[in-house]
Amino acid sequence: MNAPAAPARRRERRNYVALGLGIYVLAFMAFLLLPILVVVVISFSSATYIAFPMPGVSLQWYERVFDYAPFMQSLKVSIQIAVASAVLGAMLGVPAALWAARSQSVAANAVSTFLLAPISVPAIVLGFSLLYMLSALSMGVSFTSLLITHTVVSIAYIARTVLAVYRAVPPDFEEAAAVLGASRWKTFWHVTMPMIRPGIFAGGMFAVLISLDNLPLSFFFGSSTTNTLPVVMLSYMQNQFDPSIAAISTIQMLIAVVALLVVNALYGIEKLTAA
Amino acid sequence: MADVRSGAVQAPGLVAPRRRRRTAEVGRLGPVWAVPVVLFLCGFFLLPLGSNIMRAFDDGQGGLTLAHYIKLLTDAYFAGVVIETFKVAIITTVVCLLLGYPVAYFMVRYAGRWNTVIVFCLIAPLLTSIIMRTFGWTVLFARKGLINNWLVEWGLVARPLRLVDTELMVYIGLAHVLVPFMVLSITAVLQGIDQRLEESAQILGASPWQAFYRITLPLSLDGIATGCILVFVLTNGSFLTMLLLGGGKVTTLSLLIYQQFTLTQEVAFAAAMGNILLLCSVIALVIQLRLVRRKGVKA
Repeated sequence: MNAPAAPARRRERRNYVALGLGIYVLAFMAFLLLPILVVVVISFSSATYIAFPMPGVSLQWYERVFDYAPFMQSLKVSIQIAVASAVLGAMLGVPAALWAARSQSVAANAVSTFLLAPISVPAIVLGFSLLYMLSALSMGVSFTSLLITHTVVSIAYIARTVLAVYRAVPPDFEEAAAVLGASRWKTFWHVTMPMIRPGIFAGGMFAVLISLDNLPLSFFFGSSTTNTLPVVMLSYMQNQFDPSIAAISTIQMLIAVVALLVVNALYGIEKLTAA
Repeated sequence: MADVRSGAVQAPGLVAPRRRRRTAEVGRLGPVWAVPVVLFLCGFFLLPLGSNIMRAFDDGQGGLTLAHYIKLLTDAYFAGVVIETFKVAIITTVVCLLLGYPVAYFMVRYAGRWNTVIVFCLIAPLLTSIIMRTFGWTVLFARKGLINNWLVEWGLVARPLRLVDTELMVYIGLAHVLVPFMVLSITAVLQGIDQRLEESAQILGASPWQAFYRITLPLSLDGIATGCILVFVLTNGSFLTMLLLGGGKVTTLSLLIYQQFTLTQEVAFAAAMGNILLLCSVIALVIQLRLVRRKGVKA
């Protein structure tokens, strides 16, 4: 790490800095993980209230969660919305991102900014505005409205990753294919697509994760058939304070972890932090 | 003339004839592919936000009025909420920067193979819901929670402290949700700074602190700016943390919109509050674009 000529004293001081920073980073990681771990632990509590130390271990809160219809119904809605909005977002966003990443024009620049803009608008403002506009179109509170709302945000997350990944790929491969006589579509399917597919999946993964937890977008469109999981969890929490919230949170986390592991196995986790 | 690259003068939807396409453009998509998404976002992103801007001027009888904005900015309570919104966003941004910068620096300069572990710890919270995390803080800091148990057991306090439903809890909760975004923004820039610059400064007689303060810190300003804008905007938009951890002690515009919607349904007034938040985001976005463009010129 150090230049070989660096005096030993400086190296020693550097070690103290590294040690001090290292201890701080450990405390920082504890800060990040502690509130999550504590929820996972409490979800196995045998008590009917939340307190430490826990009297014993049981699975009763998981049973309660599976028996409580609103949790299961809203989890289903959440997953449907998350996956559908990611697929729709990819279908709409990816072709535009591919054009915008390669073109140097002002229009392409404007489009790529436009694609990313929904990330920067507070979700609560977007949800509120869309509810009243869609109500005026008599779509109001419905699965379609919810899907449209989530897709606006999914487009942005998918476009962001695809733009970053495609911009990092030099155009040489595509040019080589073209020089060697491949048609435009052959070049696209056999050269471009394999290179950007990790970006599409990583972006889609991001979109799914964001959508699953996007309460500010969802709660405006709440009804018994369109409530998403965070909406139901929030209203449950405002009435009761028991470990079933911990259990459903842990289940939601496991779903996200499994999804992440699948994408990681297919395409590598480092792509997720690329953008 | 019909070069796809000069799309500025070309309406989207027109594609250069294939025969004229130069080899460099083979395999690339034309601007026509951007049309569906642009239409979708115009309809379901620009239009609703635009109609929301108009809605805030609605006086309820078909006329226009500035009353909602005047109420928002002059009424003592509501003006206080606007100020509190910015106060919370600024404090959270500064806290995230102070907490996050050392972590980013450690990751890039010292972590080595531990880098993956730290990245995992930064990403892991993003896999959990914000409700789960606020719930976790409540469990930890409740009257009979883990922290109070330890404090009493070790004899540090006689009786359990009242920790939940305070301003401090809101800041802890916000920092926990937002600090990963700060760290990831800063590491992205720090990674590009040549470590030899810092070493050269030290060889030329600068102390390690001087080398950091004079060389590395100024070079990482772009990452700091990106991270700060991101955290600022995200804080403005969040209300769950204030709702669940603040116990009514911290009221920001987002929380007020949520409450107006669930309780009073004063639509035009809520729209006006939303527009103030929107204006902040647009300003932040413009600043960010300027930064990106400046970086583009340098590269």
